[in-house]
Amino acid sequence: MPNHQLLDNVRHKDLRILTLHQPAFGENASYGHVYLSEFRYVQGEYPILFRKNTDTAQFEAIALFGLAAEENLFMEENGWNASYVPLTVQRRPFLIGFQQDNQAEPKPVVHVDMDSPRISKSTTEGEAVFLPQGGQTPYLQHINSVLGRIHSGHIENKTFIDTLLQHELIESVAIKMELHDGSKLEFNNLYTINEEKLNALPADTLFTLHQQGYVNLIYMMIASMATLSRLIDMKNKRVRGI
Amino acid sequence: MDKTTRIITIVGGGTAGWLTAGVIAAEHMANSEQGIEVRLIESPDVNIVGVGEGTWPTMRGTLKKMGISETDFIRECDASFKQGAKFAKWVTGAENDAYYHPLVLPQGYEEINLVPFWQPHGDKVSFADAVSFQGHLCERGLAPKQNTTPEYAHVANYAYHLDAGKFAVFLQKHCTQKLGVKHILDHVIQVNAAENGDIASLTTKNSGDISGDLFIDCSGFNALLIGQHYQVPFICKKHILFNDSALACHVPYANKNDAIVSHTVSTGQSAGWIWDIGLPSRRGVGHVYSSTHISDAKAEAELRDYIRTSRADIADELTIRKIDIKPGHREVFWHNNCVAVGLSAGFLEPLEASALVLVELSAQMISEQLPASRAVMDIVAKRFNDKFLYRWDRIIDFLKLHYVLTKRTDSQYWIDNCKAETIPQALQSLLTLWRYESPWHHDFTQVDEVFPSASYQYVLYGMGFETLSRATQRRSQNAQQAEQQFRKNTELSQKLVAGLPTNRDLINKIHQYGLQKI
Repeated sequence: MPNHQLLDNVRHKDLRILTLHQPAFGENASYGHVYLSEFRYVQGEYPILFRKNTDTAQFEAIALFGLAAEENLFMEENGWNASYVPLTVQRRPFLIGFQQDNQAEPKPVVHVDMDSPRISKSTTEGEAVFLPQGGQTPYLQHINSVLGRIHSGHIENKTFIDTLLQHELIESVAIKMELHDGSKLEFNNLYTINEEKLNALPADTLFTLHQQGYVNLIYMMIASMATLSRLIDMKNKRVRGI
Repeated sequence: MDKTTRIITIVGGGTAGWLTAGVIAAEHMANSEQGIEVRLIESPDVNIVGVGEGTWPTMRGTLKKMGISETDFIRECDASFKQGAKFAKWVTGAENDAYYHPLVLPQGYEEINLVPFWQPHGDKVSFADAVSFQGHLCERGLAPKQNTTPEYAHVANYAYHLDAGKFAVFLQKHCTQKLGVKHILDHVIQVNAAENGDIASLTTKNSGDISGDLFIDCSGFNALLIGQHYQVPFICKKHILFNDSALACHVPYANKNDAIVSHTVSTGQSAGWIWDIGLPSRRGVGHVYSSTHISDAKAEAELRDYIRTSRADIADELTIRKIDIKPGHREVFWHNNCVAVGLSAGFLEPLEASALVLVELSAQMISEQLPASRAVMDIVAKRFNDKFLYRWDRIIDFLKLHYVLTKRTDSQYWIDNCKAETIPQALQSLLTLWRYESPWHHDFTQVDEVFPSASYQYVLYGMGFETLSRATQRRSQNAQQAEQQFRKNTELSQKLVAGLPTNRDLINKIHQYGLQKI
């Protein structure tokens, strides 16, 4: 059982978080969820794709970190080698919990995973969460904003994806590549923008998508595929042991 | 005689009527001014028969072409997945007597006929298990796909079990709301003939005369147009297929989340067999039998006995409905400007779910080859009649095959079924041939055969039929290639058994989240 606790400035007054990234923190997932509000920054570093959630079969937007299971090519000994780290990584070890008040809608609240290796064991190392008088540090304010964007990101992503599906703008993509050592990689469970359908959209549909702010996002996804070649380079370097 | 075909009038609002309407309306753009007008007259006084609860894999293509979402279909028609049929007690009648007729082709079927390579090992592994993984999935109640598999796509080939009553309502809604079919809820009281013998119009009780260029008789056993009006003779096949009665009932699950069996279970009785079809909300169970061999009361007792094995608590309370069957079909199906589809064209028995697939095939052929004008209609009609007479004959042969291979002698029904005079000549010849050579691609040569040779293989070798091995060797007998295919099948079986959800889980997921179209 994960040890998730409701964040509390009394209980956690001395809490410090190790914010650096390192392999020891288990950050080896080969992809991570990304949200519309960060597409702009994600697309310059990672391929943005869709995959189906294995439980619900619903599409979710992801950034690709690696080309094999449990492989994060951005994760190096000295940190996360990219100019932007996605929100779902930045938030760690905090997460959104829900508090059920009487009658009211469940309210999102900040939880912290006390089993995370990011929980500092020392009183000096890492970022403080609370100020000595119990106020929030700029670090916690940042985390609050990250969690807030993730929270609103769920519904924003769903609306975006539903709209794309409605216009049949999502298609499956088979990514095949051959590495320098001759080994072949193939992904068949990924989806991307159907450019043929996109280019054939009637003007009024395109205008509606534009008004929703979706045209930018669609083109960011398409452009993000250029970063795939960087991932392949990184993979090749690992294959050759450089 | 060169009248353009612009209006198609269908009589009957059962599954056959709405399926035919949907297939034609979708292809011929009934919802556009430039398309063909499709009208469907449904009598508010007539109940649909509604026991056609098993389909073929072809239904996936049919629904997709009509623009139907598979998620909507599964949710609204109480549908679940069907991966073939399990035949119990058809060979010896013993408790452990069972074989599968799965829907996937034998492994490597295009390149190699595995029968001669399997036969020497027939005592260790069943034919179906040796050449296909699907029996393993069925035994474990697994689904033929994952929830991430797109609509209509499959991991293992599949058909459906569905609620026929809900299906007709669902199709009606889709046909009238999306495909532009005009629904006339009225009773036909008179058929008005034209000078050339065609049907000019149908007089209805409240909506006046309904005209049409082509009339499709989907009026069920009433056969309002093809039978009552045209008096096209009915060819009885009871001397081959004895079953002429059915008792049907709905069996609720004990618990809402009980496993949904992902195949039709067909269990031999003393004078017929019992179907058992798992839907998400209930089972459909029925006994189809020969009234010459058993009384209705005894047949009902056998049915209740069968239900008692799973639901002893309610077996005696269930309401049972009797349906009379006249096994056979019309002498022709297309006569003048009238074509019969569904029960009006004929019906044999529920074995192998041939009823709905004949509706699909008929609708498809009418739609694809729809005569552009009256001048060419007779040519298409002849083609249609030739093709469907061939199909009915092949279906009769294939259904009869299930009976003639029995080793049961415990009742007159099974003994009579094996008498030579009840077996069509074509089937007798094939059985003789298959003593020396197992069926494969050369046995059924039409491009769109109803039952492929693979189905014959599954039934023949499932029932213990023996084909003698050749005394001389053949170059193409490649034991190594066969070995590879057997191994591939074993690997696939293990992989799929590990990777597929249960039928119940997948159906629940579809109800909750739906399937993606891509």
